[in-house]
Amino acid sequence: MGSLAQALTDLEEQKVYELVEQKISEGEGVLKIISELNEGMVNVGERFSSGEYFISQLIFSAEILKHVMTKLEPLLSKVEAGQTSGKVVIGTVKGDIHDIGKNIVTTLLNGSGFDVTDLGVDVPSEKFVEALKETGAKVLGLSALLNFTYPEMKSVVDEVERAGLRDQVKIVIGGAPCNEQVREFTGADFYAKDAIAGVNYCKEVYQ
Amino acid sequence: MSDGVKQLFEERLGRYQAAIALEPHDRIPIATGTNYFAEIYSGNTKQETIYDPEKWLQAEIKFCQDFPEVDVLRDNRIYGPLFDALDVKTYKLPGRDLPPNTQFQFVEQEYMKADEYSALIDDPSGFLMEVWLPRILGELARRGTGRSYVAMLKAGMAQMMLGGIMRNRGMVLEQQYGMPQPMSGFFLAPFDALADSMRGMTGALLDVFRQPDKVLAACDALVQEMAHVALSTADPLKRYPIFVPTHKAIFMSPEQFDKFYWPSFKKVMNILIESGYTIRAYLEGDWRKYWGHMREMPKGKVLCDIDTQGDIFQAKKDLEGYQCIAGGVQDSMLILGTPDQVREHVRELCQRVGKGGGYIVSAGCSFPYDTKPENFRAMIDVVTEYGRHDAGVKAKPKPTPPAGRVEALEPRRLFTPWEVKKTELGQIMGDENLIMKNWEQLEAMAHTFMWQWTL
Repeated sequence: MGSLAQALTDLEEQKVYELVEQKISEGEGVLKIISELNEGMVNVGERFSSGEYFISQLIFSAEILKHVMTKLEPLLSKVEAGQTSGKVVIGTVKGDIHDIGKNIVTTLLNGSGFDVTDLGVDVPSEKFVEALKETGAKVLGLSALLNFTYPEMKSVVDEVERAGLRDQVKIVIGGAPCNEQVREFTGADFYAKDAIAGVNYCKEVYQ
Repeated sequence: MSDGVKQLFEERLGRYQAAIALEPHDRIPIATGTNYFAEIYSGNTKQETIYDPEKWLQAEIKFCQDFPEVDVLRDNRIYGPLFDALDVKTYKLPGRDLPPNTQFQFVEQEYMKADEYSALIDDPSGFLMEVWLPRILGELARRGTGRSYVAMLKAGMAQMMLGGIMRNRGMVLEQQYGMPQPMSGFFLAPFDALADSMRGMTGALLDVFRQPDKVLAACDALVQEMAHVALSTADPLKRYPIFVPTHKAIFMSPEQFDKFYWPSFKKVMNILIESGYTIRAYLEGDWRKYWGHMREMPKGKVLCDIDTQGDIFQAKKDLEGYQCIAGGVQDSMLILGTPDQVREHVRELCQRVGKGGGYIVSAGCSFPYDTKPENFRAMIDVVTEYGRHDAGVKAKPKPTPPAGRVEALEPRRLFTPWEVKKTELGQIMGDENLIMKNWEQLEAMAHTFMWQWTL
């Protein structure tokens, strides 16, 4: 593993910034730097899945990555910027205004090279459908914190069905009140027990 | 209060207190912390609950009549007019910012900046008044204007009205329906006070990495404020536990929890326990890695609400003989399940978790709004059938513990201490104590009023 990937894996914030600056000044390709950062994020995700890291570390890694990306993005050529692992539409369903969990997932997806359309909070079902049509995304992520949202998640799934998109889109639900029983009720394809599980599912879909 | 009602009240309270204290009782109490279901069971909208105290009480009465097997009842804590008077930014309310049948929601933002720790640490109440409150109370941001003064006056009045509403509720439920409360009074773990409504979760967790010393000092500075808020809002008769909802613990690594969350939280809890209270702690999320710490607390003093994401069977193993646990009924089961599924689920809880006592039936610290009434009934019937311990034991309510001085509790940091006022007054012509006592009482009420907005 390169020193940059290692520094991000170990959450050494200043070291990550220094190494990125150094690599830029040495003329290293931006895509190569990003790919090393992605490796670091994958490691962070693995440490999370194995119970070594917790949400606080995920948030910190995402923060470091976000900071670095604001430096790197302007250096990307148009062609380079267009290369993505896949497209994902995500949002917190109508009625619920919580976004911490969704934001973590969005940042991690970005970190894994996905092109994420984040619709924000309190998103009505027709908005989800609209975004799916516009982007052609194959994954839709529905987030919620409150348990009154079960019927709303179901109605989004139904709306996707009505729009004729159901067989082209995998729907993932996640958030504190979700479980397998809720997934079954809503008709979604996958229940992500945490952010990393959600990201891994997106990778599977696009494999 | 008729003899029958008094007896019913004492039977329920005795059962509840005995379960918390890990003492013998006749059956598993059905005692959730926040009974959202009861709030709207009568058909009220969620807006009516928070804006129409009479309709709210009627809903609770109907609930008491239809589900007399339930042992305690408490639900809503929001009084809309008070939130309107101050223009509270941290909540969205049903019927106002949300559709009338959507539940209220907390709006978390960075209301305190990363470089403001020193101000908070050096003078918590000063920081509160000068910096933080004007950011979360819209009316206080207009201070200096006539409108702002009127707003504060209205807010004080609304707070007194809320006090009257809560007193009346408590009296009606106790004296007409023999129904105790699951808790009275509240506080936050100092780290949560910082992370919920000041720095926000992301901000606070990043601070743990970037400025750990400041976070620790801030948590320490908040211990006394939280203890005073808790004691001022608690039941003077000490019958009911003081409530603490925990929010951010589960996002931390166990090492971070040990260092940043637990020590100051434990300090506040110890002050309250030494003051003669029990505590009801809602361990939000999956606390499996952290709840072992509750074994450090005096036995039978901290009722632990195990959330839906937590494993109640594991909690039983880890806390048995140390603290009573509540929970186990899955929210999704009450909302989406069938009565047969609920019966099977709750029977297993009674037999496995209820065994030997120290267990209270609840969902994740609340019964959800959208609980199906037939599922609620099924849950109750199973508890009365399978939740019996020893019918011969009639646990009595505990006598009020004596009030003593608690070393760890420091005098309150008042906004305008008596000494300041006294200097302003110059010579006092009569009995100084008489003036001082009233001054300090109002100051203390103002202190609680201001700090309650951290919740």
